[in-house]
Amino acid sequence: MKKIKIITEHWGKIDPLKIEDYLEVGGYKALEEFILGMDRAGALGEIKKSGLCGRGGAGFPTGEKFEIVASQIGKKYFICNLDESEPGTYKDRMICDKNPHLLLEGIIISALIVGADKAYIYINGNYQKQKEILEVALLQAKKKKFWGNKILESDYSLKIEIYSGAGAYICGEETALINSIEGNRGEPKLRPPYPTGCGLFGRPTAINNAETISNIPWIILNGGEKYSKIGSKNSPGTKLFLLNGAVEKPGIYEAPTGITVRKLIDEYAGGIKKGKEFWFAQIGGACGKLLLEKELKAKMEFGKACQCPLGSGSILVIDKSVNIYDLLISWTDFFRRESCGKCVPCREGTFRLWEIAKRFKDGKISERDKEAIQDILWTLERTTFCPLGKFAGTAFRDAITKNILTF
Amino acid sequence: MKHETYNMKQKTIQKIILEFEPEMENLLPALKKISAVFGYVGEKEANALADYFGVPESKVFETASFYDEIKTEKQPEILIQVCSSANCAVNDSFSIIKEIENSFKIKVQEISCLGRCADGPIMVVNGKIYEKVTKSSVHGILEEYL
Repeated sequence: MKKIKIITEHWGKIDPLKIEDYLEVGGYKALEEFILGMDRAGALGEIKKSGLCGRGGAGFPTGEKFEIVASQIGKKYFICNLDESEPGTYKDRMICDKNPHLLLEGIIISALIVGADKAYIYINGNYQKQKEILEVALLQAKKKKFWGNKILESDYSLKIEIYSGAGAYICGEETALINSIEGNRGEPKLRPPYPTGCGLFGRPTAINNAETISNIPWIILNGGEKYSKIGSKNSPGTKLFLLNGAVEKPGIYEAPTGITVRKLIDEYAGGIKKGKEFWFAQIGGACGKLLLEKELKAKMEFGKACQCPLGSGSILVIDKSVNIYDLLISWTDFFRRESCGKCVPCREGTFRLWEIAKRFKDGKISERDKEAIQDILWTLERTTFCPLGKFAGTAFRDAITKNILTF
Repeated sequence: MKHETYNMKQKTIQKIILEFEPEMENLLPALKKISAVFGYVGEKEANALADYFGVPESKVFETASFYDEIKTEKQPEILIQVCSSANCAVNDSFSIIKEIENSFKIKVQEISCLGRCADGPIMVVNGKIYEKVTKSSVHGILEEYL
């Protein structure tokens, strides 16, 4: 069977800096279709039918989010979340590098569907080159009247602005991202109210991950029903997977959801690197679960019933030559640095875990530490303000319960 | 002479600030620019920003101190950063950090993922990014700066 490609279809075949290349392969056809042959409700219906869900990690149904924002009146905003900073994840960066116009087309259609007249692209501050690529793409698309005043001579108008972040992992969280644009510290806010009701500058705001948005043009062109038949039933479509670590061909691969980790490693990434012995795999970045060899049959999908949350789609394969204590420090130090400090359980918990990880490495672990680990993990999982703290201890806990870390 | 440089700096600050509309959504971009031009956001800069945006100086520092890219203190002449996130860590970034600290007696700042995991380990020296660094290649790179 031919592998279905939605996002990576034209990667490497077109010049990202030339809009003509993208137009030649049928680019912006979905936007034309939407403007000439559809209305907002019709397009929204297709997206709902497709079953598309958020690719940033939480997997919230995109159609539902759009509907809530679209049903409200007054000024509305659309934000493309490109503040990708999960360790091991660079899918959104690749989308900008390889086919920025696909993302742009998705942003324009999505913003028009929800009825926003201003869209922001919130890009990771470190993605300087990607920002430049997007700036070129925006300029080219504006000349062709794909955005701006009276898009393709219709009554639709849309302003798009690139907003560059300033290096904070937590700003990928939607309420923190909004705080950041408003000129505040990038700390998360209490939800509800959700951004869909009270978001940027107090207005209804739809915030979607760049990968989610890149699926929209395909859905508009091919219909929601066709999309809903790809991949797993609960969260249909394809997903970008990033395979790294001890595999033969590390890189980024597009595969249908519902695929098993083993299949991804063996069929896409060329198997385990020669001479290396598989130990475990970490799914979904620093906050992801660890899978042992016998658990590799876990299906990669979103939803409450899934065996292993796929998070951002990154898969790090760890072989037996890796020093587990280094990894412990890497995980805990990451969360210690990136914890925003708003709530005590996260600020203190991540710091203490990091201290314990250092003592692990030095071989100075005490009985008291062993007890404290359980307390800290319990507190992190149950009492932190936002998901950062909730998942900060996931890998640590898995390392203990799955006997990867012995003491 | 001292007075003159003070005025020059004041003018540059004003020039940068005037590039932005005085709306809150421009505070972060303005802070980023000032931090990039002067190396950090000092009291004078914060004061000018506070006046322009119509917020207290404490608010300017409140926002500025949160973000990694905006510095609120003078930075060392050579700032060496090495990524220690999981993908770089399994590629030996910890022993690279040790190597630099031992050989050059400079404290290395550990940073989070820059999304270049396929080309790790990543080292950043004064903002310039180096990919696929090794324990031996860091010597050649850092000698240029020392």
